[in-house]
Amino acid sequence: MTTNYYDSDSARRPLASEVSNLWAHRGLIRLIVTRDLTVRYKRSTLGIWWTLLNPLLTTGVMWIVFGNFFRFEIPGDTPYIVYLLSGILLITYFAQAVMASGSAIVNSAGILTKVYVPPEVFSVSAAIAASVNFMISLAILLVIQLVTGVGIPWTVVLVPIPVLAMLALTAGLGLLIAAAAVHFFDVLDLTGVAIQLVSYLTPTFYPISIVPERFQWMININPLYSYLTVFRELVYGNAGAEWWMWGYMLLSALVVLVVGVYLFSRSWRRLVILL
Amino acid sequence: MTEPAISAKGVRLEYRLSRANIGSIKEFAIKTIKREMKYESLWALDDVSFEVAKGEVFGIIGPNGAGKSTLMKIMARVLPPTEGRVIVRGSVAPMIELGAGFNMDLTGFENIVMYGTLLGRTPERMRERAWGIAEWADLIDFIDVPLRSYSSGMLARLAFAVATDIEPDVLVVDEVLSVGDAAFQIRSGERMKNLIERGASVVIVSHALGTISALADRAMWLDHGKTLMTGSPLEVIDAYERTVEGSPS
Repeated sequence: MTTNYYDSDSARRPLASEVSNLWAHRGLIRLIVTRDLTVRYKRSTLGIWWTLLNPLLTTGVMWIVFGNFFRFEIPGDTPYIVYLLSGILLITYFAQAVMASGSAIVNSAGILTKVYVPPEVFSVSAAIAASVNFMISLAILLVIQLVTGVGIPWTVVLVPIPVLAMLALTAGLGLLIAAAAVHFFDVLDLTGVAIQLVSYLTPTFYPISIVPERFQWMININPLYSYLTVFRELVYGNAGAEWWMWGYMLLSALVVLVVGVYLFSRSWRRLVILL
Repeated sequence: MTEPAISAKGVRLEYRLSRANIGSIKEFAIKTIKREMKYESLWALDDVSFEVAKGEVFGIIGPNGAGKSTLMKIMARVLPPTEGRVIVRGSVAPMIELGAGFNMDLTGFENIVMYGTLLGRTPERMRERAWGIAEWADLIDFIDVPLRSYSSGMLARLAFAVATDIEPDVLVVDEVLSVGDAAFQIRSGERMKNLIERGASVVIVSHALGTISALADRAMWLDHGKTLMTGSPLEVIDAYERTVEGSPS
């Protein structure tokens, strides 16, 4: 048994208990993540290809349209397919992690109203599952880098840094959305629209250079631009990552996670009754 | 000095019911602008205080809607009290609404591990115990079969077997003294009796007043979220029965 003393007043202290809660339930988190992934991979004939189908199809279509008809100039003379696929994979990861994490608590209402489990366990597990999924999907990108002669730089071993930052960012956003989704069922639909807007403001298929200079700030303030550029720098190099992007990435991850956990745990006492 | 296993002081729990039936941001915005947002507050529990000593069996009785199940969920940590304070010392085994988180697509084995972990045990321990649990529930032949092929009786047996596969310090029981067919009912009843006799502190909610008078050391009568009486089981049951008979139903 993990809990041998329960004082209902201790739940009134937000932030203090969450970290120890998650650590105490690491076994459960591992179990939920592996179940998520195995159910997704084992139970369909396409297996792992199923989750890759969407980003690969999107990349294929965009490659035909923008790689042949428009021809952007990509920073560092990277082949367009590598630039495009790295962008689509990261944005798909972000979208999947936020949606899964945001709906995890409503989806687990049947458990949360019957046994005691810290609710943040479900949001964080969903974001971890999406992260593992992303790491697996990187294999495709690396193969294409080899085929196109870009190669694989040693910095690829540092890719877990932006992935960890993304995990913190999406778990924090997920908790905020989850809290709102208990109140209003249309929050998740609105989230989908918001994600779409943000992804167009992220240079996935176009280089930032095609954006008029007076509008470039809109892309610079979008944290996902920093995540994407850092990720590209590490995975294939020559992406033009600057130090402020590293700082912005890590800072935004930390701030969003802390704010998300804080607001969520403060409102949870009122939320659980509504589930 | 031994501290009580459970102490509840001035516990209140509020359900806020919105009359307007708001489900979306759009409706919420419209109704807020029109000033139609009205909340009705319902106190499911109102100033409930009691203590359960180590090794004591504490029974709770009362009509439907008295707040018994809500009180159970507060002790099981599922619901936080709106006001007041609850302290539970020792490991808790909640026997309320068994089978939470059962996944029909996963096998018996996978569900045993998942359910036990949700109840606060480690996955390693559950993997070790899974065969023993399935054997006790007479489900060895079905351990690798997805739950969707189980009958409802089999599901109840599996849930009970997992939930009781521990030696808790505090047992919170909500009407689940026996499940399944006649033969299994005897075995599950015996298992519960063993858990109780082992010296665990027990809080038990039941409509079967005979169960309470047979098992409980003390009893509490709850009605509309308020404590009406606490005392020896016979006294409390007697008083409760008199009002039930006296009321023109």
